[in-house]
Amino acid sequence: MHLLVQAVILGILIGGVYALMASGLTLVFGIMRVINVAQGAMVILGAYLSYTLFSSVGIDPLLSILLIAPVMFALGVGIHRVFIRALRAESGEEMSLLVTWATALAIEGVLSVTYTTNLRSTIPGYAQRSWIILGYRVAEVRVFGFVISVVILSALSLLLARTRFGRSVRATVQNPTSAKLLGVDADRVSALGFGIGISTAAAAGAVFGIIYPFNPGSHYDLISRLLSIVVLGGLGSLGGAVVAALLLGVGESVVAVMISPSWSSFVFFIVLIVILVFRPQGLFGVRERGAL
Amino acid sequence: MGTALLRLQGVVAGYGRGDVLHGVDLTVEEGAVTCLIGPNGAGKSTVLKTVSGLLRPKRGRITLLGRDIGGLSPQAVLSHGVVHVPQERSLFPSMSVWDNVLMGGFVLRDRAVVRRRIEHIADRFPIVANRRHERAGSLSGGEQKIVEIARALMLDPVLVLMDEPSTGLDPRARQLVFHTITEINEGGRTVLLVEQNARSGLAIAHHGAVMESGRVRLEGTGSSLLADPEVARLFLGAAPANRG
Ligand SMILES: Nc1ncnc2c1ncn2[C@@H]1O[C@H](COP(=O)(O)OP(=O)(O)OP(=O)(O)O)[C@@H](O)[C@H]1O
Ligand SMILES: [Mg+2]
Repeated sequence: MHLLVQAVILGILIGGVYALMASGLTLVFGIMRVINVAQGAMVILGAYLSYTLFSSVGIDPLLSILLIAPVMFALGVGIHRVFIRALRAESGEEMSLLVTWATALAIEGVLSVTYTTNLRSTIPGYAQRSWIILGYRVAEVRVFGFVISVVILSALSLLLARTRFGRSVRATVQNPTSAKLLGVDADRVSALGFGIGISTAAAAGAVFGIIYPFNPGSHYDLISRLLSIVVLGGLGSLGGAVVAALLLGVGESVVAVMISPSWSSFVFFIVLIVILVFRPQGLFGVRERGAL
Repeated sequence: MGTALLRLQGVVAGYGRGDVLHGVDLTVEEGAVTCLIGPNGAGKSTVLKTVSGLLRPKRGRITLLGRDIGGLSPQAVLSHGVVHVPQERSLFPSMSVWDNVLMGGFVLRDRAVVRRRIEHIADRFPIVANRRHERAGSLSGGEQKIVEIARALMLDPVLVLMDEPSTGLDPRARQLVFHTITEINEGGRTVLLVEQNARSGLAIAHHGAVMESGRVRLEGTGSSLLADPEVARLFLGAAPANRG
């Protein structure tokens, strides 16, 4: 029982970080019907950036998010400008899957050349510390990572709920033609949405790099998990992605403890297949547009 | 006859490669309701989309009071006071009724103006006031259409393009929609109405135009088109022109 509760706590903590990674994926899908399969690579890129800032300049990996997020936002807007926007007019949404996949491979390639394929970890002073709460041992970094994820996700949902830009995003998600007819600039919404999606991924990457060792190929495993999460939550639904991330984080962690760690990532794939077969719109997605 | 508010001359437009409009000529008189009828696929919706900037004309001219508005972005067309209520459902289903109407003023920067307009609209359309917190997607088709029309008035438009607003509605809702259109027009706004239900459309219109295969074939007053045997045979069914 003790082990189980411990596993649930750890699952929730990592689930929060997964939620942050997946939020951008589901947001971008909602806005422009593009599945950005480079999302995992963006997380890993964020992990390397924060690793480098820490190991060469000594900037705390969690604080480095303040630098990494704006840079990655700009990168996202740039990628949208150069690749995604040009493609959308021409050949539509199918091609964008290939473009984002190519982006993922390009990032992996650049990282392999720059850092080799050796596993890295960002190890700040507090990486090994943990707290004992009611008899359960919790690593400090996991708590910090969870809290940071919650803060960023809350900021994101406030942005969407309260601001003019947020309204234009929700409108575009729910009815793109209608949004255009009311004067929403679809290109601007897509570009900024893509930038936000990628900068939140990179922010999560800074946390990921402290919790898990990583190398340039880690994005394959990651994108599979993220896709399971957004499909379970319902593509385009931010709240759904958060709930699904927590569920799968807990599922993974419980299976790792109760059965075997080598089975834990299997949870994601089983869930992915079951959902695709029995409830393709996900837990919270609706068949029509309009989840956000 | 008043002055021409909107004029299309030889407009060619379409989706991707093929053309759907093969040179449309159409005049919309200021202050009038003009009703565009025609069979499925004639290009009626395409005309509206080209005027509102969803599509760019490949050739021809579109002018509003003499100023060229052809090929402008939807945003720019809005700034000229032209709004488009499309054929498909156009509310944001997960937003509240109130937020939907607020979105109608999205391009307005002055919050005081937005507030004043929405209060005015809430007075005029009880559904906006009474159901303000409800998800727009939970309203019936007829209710949604009224909210769509209310939303279109947020910009205080000079020209309202309305695409088959009565299609799919029950008779009572349809009557309310037509009544609302007449009211909007009596408030001084020009309306370009596309109607599947040609009889009721022409009945409230001052002026009508008949489209077929991407061209305007006939133009005239609403009543003259209703009386035209050719129009009756093609679009109104063989029955004598009683109110539908
Ligand atoms: N998004 C689109 N992409 C490609 N072709 C389209 C698109 N929308 C309409 N068309 C084609 O353009 C032609 C005219 O369509 P349009 O919607 O303008 O007709 P309509 O007169 O409004 O018909 P209806 O009464 O059925 O609404 C049709 O042949 C239609 O198939
Ligand atoms: Mg149509």
